[in-house]
Amino acid sequence: MHDSRQLKRERFTPLTYLFLTVALLFTMILCICVGSVSISFSDTITAVWNAIRGVPASGSITGNIILNVRLPRVLCVTLAGAALSLCGAAMQGLLRNPLADGSTMGVSSGAALGAVIAMAAGFTLPGFSYGGIMVTAMAFAFGSLILILSLAYSLDHSLSTNSIILIGVIFTMFISSIISLIITFASDHTRSLSFWTLGSFSGVNYDQAKLLFIALVICGGILIRFSSELNAFAIGEDNARHIGVNVKQVKLIVLITVSVLIGICVSISGTISFVGLVMPHIARMLVGPNHKRLLPASLFSGAIFLLLADLTARTILSPIELSIGVVTSLVGAVAFVIIFYRTRKRR
Amino acid sequence: MTAILHGNQITVRYGSHTVVDNLSFHLKEGQWLMLAGPNGAGKSTLIEAIAQGVPYTGNIQWEGLDLCSLKPAQLAQKIGVLSQKNNVGYAYTVEEVVGLGRYAYRSGFFSSADDHGRSLVESALEITGLTGLRHASMLTLSGGETQRVFLAQVLAQNPQVLVLDEPANHLDLNYQQQIFSLIREWLKEPGRAVLSVVHDLSLARKYGTHAILMDHGKSISQGIISDVMTPDNLQQVYGMNVYEWMREMLSQWQR
Amino acid sequence: MSKKLVSLFLAVLMVFSIASSLAEASAVTVTDMHDREITLAEPATRIVVMQPSDCEILCAIGCEDTIVGRGQYVDYPTSVLEVPVVQSGAETNVEEILALNPQVVLMNDMAQSEEQVKQLEENGVKVVVSSATDIEGVYYAIRMIGKLMGKEENAEAVIADMQATFDEIKANSKNEGKTVYFEVSPLQWGLWTAGKGTFMDELAEICGLTNAFADLNDWASISEEQVLARDPDFIVTITMYYGEGPTPVEEIMSREGWGDLKAVKNGDILNAESNAISRPGPRLKDAAIELYNFINNIKAEEVPAA
Repeated sequence: MHDSRQLKRERFTPLTYLFLTVALLFTMILCICVGSVSISFSDTITAVWNAIRGVPASGSITGNIILNVRLPRVLCVTLAGAALSLCGAAMQGLLRNPLADGSTMGVSSGAALGAVIAMAAGFTLPGFSYGGIMVTAMAFAFGSLILILSLAYSLDHSLSTNSIILIGVIFTMFISSIISLIITFASDHTRSLSFWTLGSFSGVNYDQAKLLFIALVICGGILIRFSSELNAFAIGEDNARHIGVNVKQVKLIVLITVSVLIGICVSISGTISFVGLVMPHIARMLVGPNHKRLLPASLFSGAIFLLLADLTARTILSPIELSIGVVTSLVGAVAFVIIFYRTRKRR
Repeated sequence: MTAILHGNQITVRYGSHTVVDNLSFHLKEGQWLMLAGPNGAGKSTLIEAIAQGVPYTGNIQWEGLDLCSLKPAQLAQKIGVLSQKNNVGYAYTVEEVVGLGRYAYRSGFFSSADDHGRSLVESALEITGLTGLRHASMLTLSGGETQRVFLAQVLAQNPQVLVLDEPANHLDLNYQQQIFSLIREWLKEPGRAVLSVVHDLSLARKYGTHAILMDHGKSISQGIISDVMTPDNLQQVYGMNVYEWMREMLSQWQR
Repeated sequence: MSKKLVSLFLAVLMVFSIASSLAEASAVTVTDMHDREITLAEPATRIVVMQPSDCEILCAIGCEDTIVGRGQYVDYPTSVLEVPVVQSGAETNVEEILALNPQVVLMNDMAQSEEQVKQLEENGVKVVVSSATDIEGVYYAIRMIGKLMGKEENAEAVIADMQATFDEIKANSKNEGKTVYFEVSPLQWGLWTAGKGTFMDELAEICGLTNAFADLNDWASISEEQVLARDPDFIVTITMYYGEGPTPVEEIMSREGWGDLKAVKNGDILNAESNAISRPGPRLKDAAIELYNFINNIKAEEVPAA
């Protein structure tokens, strides 16, 4: 007997991963080769090859551009895209809310506020000048998450999808005003408002890429380790507890991990909306909702999306450079509507 | 035969409102204990307390071991709960959801289900008649099918005590019959017991061996079901002549 | 009628006509930069100035003592900081301005609303709009303000001075195809440059330089790689330095990958006085001199000691 409702996902998985890896590598190479300035493919290869061999790129304009501008940027964008998408997927699973992600839950704007405050106050950690900003961003990210969840719970005990998102969105608007206010008074120390609200990867360096990599490996590892638990949350928190999940502990760990990762991303590139919201859905369409496959797939889909978005931002109006948030919002909003419509239709 | 589950002076308060009032009970092997009583009697809350979901005073013991000292996974291996709210928001397959019942037996991140676990999942799917739907998406199931999936999940969990909160609520008659006979079969295995909240007193009497009649959080009567469901007890709790009402209902089917 | 009465009458008539022609002579009419005609009975003596550039013009023509109120960003010359501040831009507070009892308000057309202008005029205050976007416009503004204050001669002197400076620089500068990149916002705040249609661009032209980003208009956000690819001969940054951390010039030189640019290798980076170079006022000539010196000091060093 063959029920027509069978989902034949299982067979596709190894192939899907191969496809995703190839797609990611291709996109990364594309983004290194294409940019505001036209550089021939052979020059690009030469520059990258020199970089790998450790030969300094001095003297060559194209070498400089590839090595010091494009390569670190492509690395940061890849890692940040993967991180944001992973966090979105984890939150959507934990909270059973397909609309959850860093920006809708106010986490990103909380992180931005933390970073801005740390910059305005000149808060640094010894030996690690960027550390003060990141730590504050992480702390504020976590605080925002807790605040929003508590507010949502007190308003609506069932924590319905809509009330959480509503509170998250209002919170984000409120925080943006505060950020704007602080920037007015401390504009020489903080970055611009458009950086914080629309994001930018302009000027990122290898140190930041290293930081993102370490953060992604650690936090990503933690989240992937909790794949089974995140699956369990799909049946509801109470039921998850009934089957033996330590709900309180898992929730705390996941929320802290997400806050840390988002805090670091926002410190480096500002708030970038829609990546964590839309890309997990795309990943879910490809590999299904089981977090053992969904989380890794989200890493790939997020990285590819953000790479393409950044490429568009820096080439479409060349030599003018757009804020990356403009591209992700435009594309992300449309993609979201399409996804929403299709999932409604399927039911 | 000692009690598997022993509840001692359990009290649950929400603010100034006492929902469960100094209630003691015990559940022995082979028993199907029915929790009966009108709305607001505190039945579901008592279930939640046993499942460690709400704070309470008093203690609940499992063969001498205090339940609140157990880790969630350890508790899940002993007690399986089928609650009223069962739904899944994402397109998991039936097999994946039933497989979740084995969570408490995982021995580390990289362990996949062992043979014993796999066979339990298989038999759970078989018992509930879901083998044909094993790859179906949860989003495409009917209410009855969904409930069966969660029953299969709790069966795969292989607990000693099954705790059910109105398992047949809002569901078709044939499903009611299926599910209750399933559980009765399950109960035949030694070392098991069932505790359930059932609204339908006839169902309670048909399948239950023992009962606790609750009213306003207190236990009015406990023991063998025929001793508990006396006309006087029921009159006291429901404020009406339940026997007469039931006989009237039955007479509808005599023609 | 007695002759005495007639002669008295004629005398009074004469006095009146002389007085009125004198009044006419001192009456002032200007056409502001929004093509509005404003007439005052006599040159203004109490003026509220919203824009820093207009204030610099007023002071340059010797009318600093007529300023009774200044906008938030008006800060040059430093002596003007004593004057009471009024909100400017979108937060313009009409009551605040009226409280200072001015005859004229000099403002820009960008942020104030029509309602605010109407309110002021209804209360007897004349509003004069000044909005120069190029050097010719600055000359117009100076003339307009000079007329308004009855200091036309001083105004012409200021203009002549500016013109002479520009002409002298032009005469001594040949366009040898060297390029200049103006950085109006540094990398960490988003890289912005000044393209065509800005004062910086005009000054560059006067100094015989080509703007590396002449294909863009006004201020624009650009990609870092564009600067690297265009490899300008000179870099001029107007980032302000507040005494902490590296100076703007040091910061540019330390950027990854910028070390190979001509301008960085040769140290041809100027941290220009940002207000002088971007305000439509008399200090543009100072900015031009700064720019010229910057370019030619380098040239002077290159001349081998014979």
